[in-house]
Amino acid sequence: MSLTNANSSNAIAAHEHVLHFPKDGKPSLTPNEWLIWSGSQDEGGLPDLEHGKAKVLVPFKWWISHHEEADIQAKTKGGQIGIWFAADDDILKHVELINEGKKVWPLVAAHFPIFRDGRSFSTAALLRDRFAWTGEIRAIGDVLIDQLLQGARVGFDSFALRPDQNLDVALKQFDLYSVTTQNSWRDKRASLSI
Amino acid sequence: MYKYDHIDQTLVNQRVAQFRDQVARRLDGSLAEEEFRPLRLQNGLYHQRHAYMLRVAIPYGLFNSKQLRTMAHIAEKYDRGYGHFTTRQNIQYNWVTLEDTPDILAELAKVEMHAIQTSGNCIRNITSDAFAGVAGDEYVDPRPVCELLRQWSTLHPEFAHLPRKFKFAINGAKEDRTILLCHDVGIELKKNTSGELIADIYAGGGMGRTPILGSLIKQALPWQLLPSYLTALLRVYNRFGRRDNLYKARIKILVKALSPEEFARQVEGEWLHIKDGDDNFTQAEWDRVAKHFTKPAYKSLQKLTNEQVISLAKDEDKAAFARWLERNIKPHQVPGYASVVLSLKPHGSVAPGDATTAQMLAIADLADQYSFGELRATHEQNLVLADVEQSKLYELWQEAKKQKVALPNVGLLTDIIACPGGDFCSLANAKSLPIAKAIQERFDDLDYLFDLGDISLNISGCINSCGHHHVGNIGVLGVDKDGEEWYQITLGGEQGNDAAIGKVIGPSFYADEIPDVMTNIINAYVEQRADGEAFIQTYNRLGVAPFKEAAYKNAKKKEKADSKVTGEDAS
Repeated sequence: MSLTNANSSNAIAAHEHVLHFPKDGKPSLTPNEWLIWSGSQDEGGLPDLEHGKAKVLVPFKWWISHHEEADIQAKTKGGQIGIWFAADDDILKHVELINEGKKVWPLVAAHFPIFRDGRSFSTAALLRDRFAWTGEIRAIGDVLIDQLLQGARVGFDSFALRPDQNLDVALKQFDLYSVTTQNSWRDKRASLSI
Repeated sequence: MYKYDHIDQTLVNQRVAQFRDQVARRLDGSLAEEEFRPLRLQNGLYHQRHAYMLRVAIPYGLFNSKQLRTMAHIAEKYDRGYGHFTTRQNIQYNWVTLEDTPDILAELAKVEMHAIQTSGNCIRNITSDAFAGVAGDEYVDPRPVCELLRQWSTLHPEFAHLPRKFKFAINGAKEDRTILLCHDVGIELKKNTSGELIADIYAGGGMGRTPILGSLIKQALPWQLLPSYLTALLRVYNRFGRRDNLYKARIKILVKALSPEEFARQVEGEWLHIKDGDDNFTQAEWDRVAKHFTKPAYKSLQKLTNEQVISLAKDEDKAAFARWLERNIKPHQVPGYASVVLSLKPHGSVAPGDATTAQMLAIADLADQYSFGELRATHEQNLVLADVEQSKLYELWQEAKKQKVALPNVGLLTDIIACPGGDFCSLANAKSLPIAKAIQERFDDLDYLFDLGDISLNISGCINSCGHHHVGNIGVLGVDKDGEEWYQITLGGEQGNDAAIGKVIGPSFYADEIPDVMTNIINAYVEQRADGEAFIQTYNRLGVAPFKEAAYKNAKKKEKADSKVTGEDAS
């Protein structure tokens, strides 16, 4: 079992490798550089980025109230801060803030509190369709092997799987289907081509 | 009927491979049961009281003889020699093993069948009019739209983990045979004054513990725009449907909480952003699908009167045959043809909707011989041969009698809709099958049943209402009180154009009281009915009082049984 940052009790657990599956590329594994901060410990504020991981995904709710602080702006400029959306964040209520954020966030993520909660699928779809977010969108939280296909199709292109997931099995998921019957972020439905 | 192209076939084959891998991971322990559960449910595999149950999709209820033979083969090889046709026009097997399931799915894939999304919190198998394409009162054949939406909803990635299950019904006839308003989304197809196909969309209906009729939220939607509109609708539900409470997670609760007007406004707001996108159906897609739903090679025949048809029977058969014609034969669009309902409700049967391997094989032969090899499963758990020459009805009746599927009880009191109940279902609070059987035994006199006329009797073994008791003229709901099985009666439910939710008449009854209670209710009807008045009309005229009084005439217990509720809905 490994966490993004073993010494951080208020980090969201994730595998030490991230599965990247770019839109027009092949799936691959890379070390996970991002601490996923849950934001649950208000007193200490942002985790120490000097001694742990250097980059942190902060909760969007936290970003809303802290993004104007000088040290946050500095770290953001340094490419050290991205944000993650909780499943119940109504991103359509924050259009301006997200459009501003698009210029400075190297990475955004959407959280699965439990694998069977599909709200973040719609979040990813909206980020791609409505906000035209072209950067990376990472699935975080209770991300299991059997969600990868759906995630890849709605707009996720990286996955911080739960630490216990078998990455070899995960890597093979994207080859399971060669056809689809509805459009997705990656492909138009196969039936349009006949 | 629709024939798979290479895309459909590839997808179904790949789905079998995916599920085989998931089962293997479950069996080797690398996939925990809790995490496997939603995966198997999305492939129709439940874990029931005694064994696994596999629900196989019959999209919009339409299938062919070859498929029925495969269903029979699966019943024989992997189950206990029978299958159960459900209210959602599917078939399910009660005794399969987890290990066998991938092989069963592989056999199904060979005949263009699958179990995708027959359960789970996703878009379920789409249901429609069992008489689609042949009904005398049809203004639009709904099947091309059903098929296009089947494809659109199959393995839809954004809606794979909705707050709860999601059911579509689609109707295109004057009479609603789909209980459109009891669905998460009901799609009513019409033609506008220019002859273009449009849809009215109803949302937020459903039965279960909080029965609500759906509300009209969109009118005259051009058929091409269905995918973008339904994406918007489902996106609003996916994002804002309640996930904190399983029992309040259906879309009906969201629609009610917001009001239908506000829900419609939110859907419209979402839709504006995607309505012009390429999710929408193209004419080419329509053409490719619709060509499978052209009319079969009907002969040019003369329309026969009932008397002419009856005259084909031997004298000793005439009375019984005439009854069957009256109850089990439905009018057809084409002169000289009729649609035949084969009753899967023989009196004393084990379970309404069950068919044995032998029956399935014989019925497949009948379909080949009399109805272009096609069949339909109905919401009422019967089967339909849709295209039978009137001049062959007598011959068919004789064959159907041999298979015990010719009982002329369609629409009568013993044409009972019942869920599998406590005999099979792990969610049930009470048995439903012995209640159905006891009622059939009590009302076994066909003359009397005929005299009573149209009455629907629906039985559910728990509040999840898989037996659709809410829309039965008489509904029976099994409830649990302190470990004992009780039965609550509702009256006044109705399906069809005047769909209505029945009202609970009062305290519950013991199982052994139910036949007497039914007798009392029926007697009250017989005593008070006006000439030609059906049960529901008498009820609507008089209200509940006389029926309630009759029902409790000899009741042993008058205390109210509280319903104890467990688990999630297996329907």
